[in-house]
Amino acid sequence: MTTETAPRSGEPRPAPKGTHRSTDDPNVLLQDDYDFYEPIPPYTPRTEREAEFYTLGDGEMFLNMGPQHPSTHGVLRVVLKLDGERVVDIDPVLGYLHRGVEKLVENADYHQTISQVDPLEYISSLFCEWAPVTAYERLLDVEVPRRAEYIRVLSGELNRIASHALFLGWFALDLGGLTPILWSFIERDEIVEMLAALTGQRMLFNYFRIGGVNGDLNHEFMSRLGDWMSRAVGQIEAGMGLLNENEIFVRRAAGLGVIDTEMALRYCMTGPNLRATGVPFDLRRTHPYSIYPELEFDIPTRTEGDCLARYLLRMEEIKQSIRIIDQCLDKMPDGPIMAKLPRLIRPRPGRAWSGVEGPRGVYGAYAISDGTDQPFRLKIHDPSFIHLQAVGALLPGCLLADCMAVMASLDPIMGGVDK
Amino acid sequence: MDRTLARRLEARFESVLHGAARQRHDQTEIRIGAGDVIDVLRSLHDEPDLAFTMLADLAGVDTGKEMQVVYHLWSATTTDWLRVIAEGLSRDEPRIPSVTFLWQGAEWMERETYDMFGIIFEGNRDLRRIYMPPDYTSFPLRKDFYLPDDAARSTGAGVRHVERSRSPVDAAPGVLRRTGA
Repeated sequence: MTTETAPRSGEPRPAPKGTHRSTDDPNVLLQDDYDFYEPIPPYTPRTEREAEFYTLGDGEMFLNMGPQHPSTHGVLRVVLKLDGERVVDIDPVLGYLHRGVEKLVENADYHQTISQVDPLEYISSLFCEWAPVTAYERLLDVEVPRRAEYIRVLSGELNRIASHALFLGWFALDLGGLTPILWSFIERDEIVEMLAALTGQRMLFNYFRIGGVNGDLNHEFMSRLGDWMSRAVGQIEAGMGLLNENEIFVRRAAGLGVIDTEMALRYCMTGPNLRATGVPFDLRRTHPYSIYPELEFDIPTRTEGDCLARYLLRMEEIKQSIRIIDQCLDKMPDGPIMAKLPRLIRPRPGRAWSGVEGPRGVYGAYAISDGTDQPFRLKIHDPSFIHLQAVGALLPGCLLADCMAVMASLDPIMGGVDK
Repeated sequence: MDRTLARRLEARFESVLHGAARQRHDQTEIRIGAGDVIDVLRSLHDEPDLAFTMLADLAGVDTGKEMQVVYHLWSATTTDWLRVIAEGLSRDEPRIPSVTFLWQGAEWMERETYDMFGIIFEGNRDLRRIYMPPDYTSFPLRKDFYLPDDAARSTGAGVRHVERSRSPVDAAPGVLRRTGA
């Protein structure tokens, strides 16, 4: 590869024999027999937007990031249009992790679908199960025993803390700090081991059942939980101290990727990303489900709407989750953990939607039954998918290095984005 | 269940509703034609006594006879989720107006629905495949797209009850239709 200075005005000179000019940058001459990646797709643009994106202006170039990039949180490919160090536009290319879960569940029995939806958001699997399970319960008109609801909330909040703890580490890692992820993995590992004692799995729990949960609380889980609760707050605050008082981190994250309320609603955002713009929208309070109305906790909000606000908000939520776990342990009732249901369930034909508040936003499931033992349609609504598309609106004007920071602050998980 | 919401919606959209509003659990459901989507959703979004400012989900449905697009909306003015079903899209050439003028975030949801069902959203400026590769030609979530290892179509179909064959039927509430062996 050689570069030459082409005249800024007029047509570039024809490329010498055996070479051609790169479509990224006409100043770059490529050997004809080089077979390496060109970001411009080889077909004519299919939409207005694609044609606009893949037309280069003066001084602009394409940069391909991913699908194998450490800061894309999975396998995401982003084509960036750059002007020097500034991002002009981005085009995320999805589908590298697409498994067709919605088709697979149409060919599985209701109970089997729970293990199919599990790996969608592999960081917070319990919420991926929670949404379809409650949708099925509404189709069936099942009353879930109170002890099962308490166990669901208890394990769900633990999963939320594990997810937020990992966010803390990743966010710092994408901003260039290595230490916080090592610290946050201490926390996450403890919780994951605890949930493994409860559910039998470290990540893909397959724990919730239609009408209850799979297993009751056991001794190992309770002793690990008690052990961890006694020092949880201190440890998490120590981890936060690494970042909250770090001037480089704070000045880097403040004022970056600002979202206002109107934009958040236009982009259908939910969860911490919406609450960081000042809207106290949390399904646990605004549309109560399970036993949340009986528990005391606050909905933290912030008004800045930037990366720092989203980070600080999630840390506040960890503290609220610890409060909820405390109350769950205090109030845990005795009783059965499963409703009485036949082994093969056939809900009456109908439609049901359910939304639960996960660590990233509203996880939704829209189930349609046609009276057989398999769901006729199960639509999974995943907050990561929604939040990732806002990146396209946030990045223009940012520096290339801020790309990862903005993306990480929205906390998308590619398993959920690609379904 | 918010009874007043159903009455308000029926009074407001009387001329375009297909049948009465249905309510079950915490959900209210209305059905409209594909041509009324823009008017109805704009009113739901803009009018202060409705104020459904949040689009919670957009889903495509293939009932086997027709295509539907289902919107789930949330508003602070009611305790119910609102489900708006735009029904009656033809399976051969499903077309419906896009709602990206109200919710920019619907763009990718519509792209996903297009990718999976082939429903064309008029007005979406980036309607291309999102999950499947660009040279892919089928629409995988349509009911006439069978998986190669679909148990219901295997030679053992009907041997075990969970593998009983099933064909696409409309999941209209109230009509229990059993299919298969």
